[in-house]
Amino acid sequence: MMDLSTYAENTWCPGCGNFGILNAFKNAVKMLTDEGIERGKIAISAGIGCHGKIFDYLNLSGLYSIHGRSVATIEGMKIANPRLKCVSFVGDGDAMGEGLSHLLFAAKRNVDITVIMHNNGVYALTTGQFTPLSEKGFKSKTSLGGNIEEPFNPLLLLLVSGASFIARGYSGRLEHLSTIIKEAILHKGFSFVEVLQPCVSYNDTYKYYNERVEVVEDTLTYEEALKIIREKKGKIPLGILYRAQKPIYHEELYGSLNPVEQRMSRKERLDRVKGLLSLY
Amino acid sequence: MEKVFTIIVAGQAGHGVRKAGIVISKMFRDMGLNVFQMDDYPSLIKGGHNFVVVSASSKRLLSHYMKADIVVALDERSYHIHKEHMVEKGIIVFDDSFKGEGIALPIIREAKKYSSSLNISGVSAVAILSAAIGTNKDDLSEIIKKEYPRNAEENVGYALAIYKLAKDKVRLDLPLKKKRKGCSLLTGNEAIALGMAGAGLDIYFAYPMTPSTSILHLLSKHSNELGIVVTQPENEIAVANMAIGAAFAGARVAVGTSGGGFALMEEAFSLAGMVEAPVFFVLSSRPGPSTGVPTYTEQADLLFAIHQGHGEFPRIVASPGSIEEAFYLAGELLDLAWRFQTPSILLTEKHLSESRLSVSLDVSKVQEAIPIGHKKGKYKRYLITEDGVSPLLFPPSGEVIKWNSYEHDEMGITTEDVEMIAKMHNKRLKKREAIVEYMKGMRTVNEYGEGDEVIFTFGSTTMSVLEALDYADITARVVQPIYLEPFPIWELRKYKRGIVVEQNSRGQLAELLREKAGVEITSTIKRYDGRPFDVIELSSKIKGCL
Repeated sequence: MMDLSTYAENTWCPGCGNFGILNAFKNAVKMLTDEGIERGKIAISAGIGCHGKIFDYLNLSGLYSIHGRSVATIEGMKIANPRLKCVSFVGDGDAMGEGLSHLLFAAKRNVDITVIMHNNGVYALTTGQFTPLSEKGFKSKTSLGGNIEEPFNPLLLLLVSGASFIARGYSGRLEHLSTIIKEAILHKGFSFVEVLQPCVSYNDTYKYYNERVEVVEDTLTYEEALKIIREKKGKIPLGILYRAQKPIYHEELYGSLNPVEQRMSRKERLDRVKGLLSLY
Repeated sequence: MEKVFTIIVAGQAGHGVRKAGIVISKMFRDMGLNVFQMDDYPSLIKGGHNFVVVSASSKRLLSHYMKADIVVALDERSYHIHKEHMVEKGIIVFDDSFKGEGIALPIIREAKKYSSSLNISGVSAVAILSAAIGTNKDDLSEIIKKEYPRNAEENVGYALAIYKLAKDKVRLDLPLKKKRKGCSLLTGNEAIALGMAGAGLDIYFAYPMTPSTSILHLLSKHSNELGIVVTQPENEIAVANMAIGAAFAGARVAVGTSGGGFALMEEAFSLAGMVEAPVFFVLSSRPGPSTGVPTYTEQADLLFAIHQGHGEFPRIVASPGSIEEAFYLAGELLDLAWRFQTPSILLTEKHLSESRLSVSLDVSKVQEAIPIGHKKGKYKRYLITEDGVSPLLFPPSGEVIKWNSYEHDEMGITTEDVEMIAKMHNKRLKKREAIVEYMKGMRTVNEYGEGDEVIFTFGSTTMSVLEALDYADITARVVQPIYLEPFPIWELRKYKRGIVVEQNSRGQLAELLREKAGVEITSTIKRYDGRPFDVIELSSKIKGCL
């Protein structure tokens, strides 16, 4: 049995929703390995926040990036070597605040990467402030009288930006989340998984989510996805909410080339530079 | 000094003034002359006032001259500005839609005889110059056909008409000897782009920002031939972070920008220092602060470049003093970034980035950026070594490769351990020491000329200083630190005192020389109005200081 753990001491709070995401991701990697995807081909990145600690707990290659930039980091990896299976872990404050532009542009380009957003609706590692996804009225150290802003609808933003795979999971539904993550990684194109993640210290939503989440059938058309993602009341749908095939960024950019594995020889490179110099 | 011949072409933006400069430069180059072309243009697309200066000579030429033998002014504004920029017996040719002293030609009226929109400024200027220096009609037709292939027939017709009108009125001697053959006409940015390409660049990331954008243009244009992937992400923050991600995957990467874009990259610059990412940055300055004066020149980002990024980590900063040097230095800095796994910066400015010179380059002398690879056994990304440089390995791999923005242990796992934090600081410090030791075996300072008087300068101003000395026949030793961080004090300490010439208001190079190398600076000649030094003015200022 492959061990995906490291020697790093786990410092998430007991009961943290991140444990569910870590275990679901490990399950997904095991499923992928069974399908013939070597773990050495998987490259990860993470932003900064409680979610980012997953980087230290996974015995996988990658780059522990900075706040908000995890998606840009992983895009660079994918463009350099399209053979890699690239997964970017992001937080809701991290990706929808500091890094919003990178996230939406990655969707717009349909870069062949997977983004897993740990959505706990709070800046937890900085001890509790509202985020772009905190509900209106949410009380925190910087919204003492209740959050005065409406939250983004992240999946709607991603859908209209061009994401070709959109899913929602819940850290309390391990098996379902594992499958969604596996499907997201297998998807060719930009895949986005929002994971509802209770924060036991600053935003304990276990009860709230347990009462409301509902696994739904895959929705496949854009209109269906738009409808289910827009719906506000009642149940919170979990599952693959949109899946489509669209041209992929790196293939549009350079076809079947692999920039790091098919490098030109020095001699050829210099000959070509010389050739160009003669034209100038 | 040997004769320098200069032409100024001026008119509104969008009329092909810059293109005229390129065509004229090529004509002189093909006559076997050395060429220096300087473009002066405002930040707009149509209208305004654009001009291009092309100087040519059989001697080495490192600056344009603002005294023209011939001025071609397409509008009244250009006429009034540039009638001041003529040698004693210079000729000014202008459109006859306004009154002036000199040679009035129906440049615009003549163009109206042609159906399609012509490249009026460009074609007329080339035709007038050809008439003046006695280029024959057939050669002119060939040049126009080759350089203006769209509506070639009409352009040739128009060129010959202007040529005929100018032939008897405009006459100039071109007492220049043929000197060289087979050289290229390159801007600094073109030299930088081709230098990086030669050194093995795989991917170039950039967001457009003047005056760095023409690197992006050249690499986009020749992407397929050079095997270089070129991408334009959403902003400079993405640019720098993507570059670091791509370096993680083993790609030789570079990014290019100007001051404002570089400020946005600063966060990622520090990340590159921490994860030890080999990323090569090109910083082409324009006058700041903030938006500043986008299409003009200044050297005010020297201290900004060397102090880039929060926290302590090594970085390498160098600035080329010529177009040739820009070509080789781009390769050298890409190589150094990989050799020491830390960010390197090529600092330059608009005057070098966008001026065009005739140069001869030996491509086989470009360095190659080669990763120091992991041999065998268990892989540790941040293995502590004697010189602080740890071997590299790239995914996909059976080994786990972790780059980490947090302080980390040798495996790349986050740490807050007392000993490990200091150990990793020492590792990065040792890299800086290793860089200094390595640089001691490299050419880090250029010295030109002789004598007791020392003039310090850097970057594109080196060209202006050398030309000014040549112009006024001044004997002095010109010292140009190519490397600015680590600052080559081991080379510079031997100069006890001197004057400094630089293009910023604070005297940033003077400050470095004084504080780091203990050099006594007797006076500083500065220019900070966006324009490069005028060599004639500069030569008298230098005389006044020596």
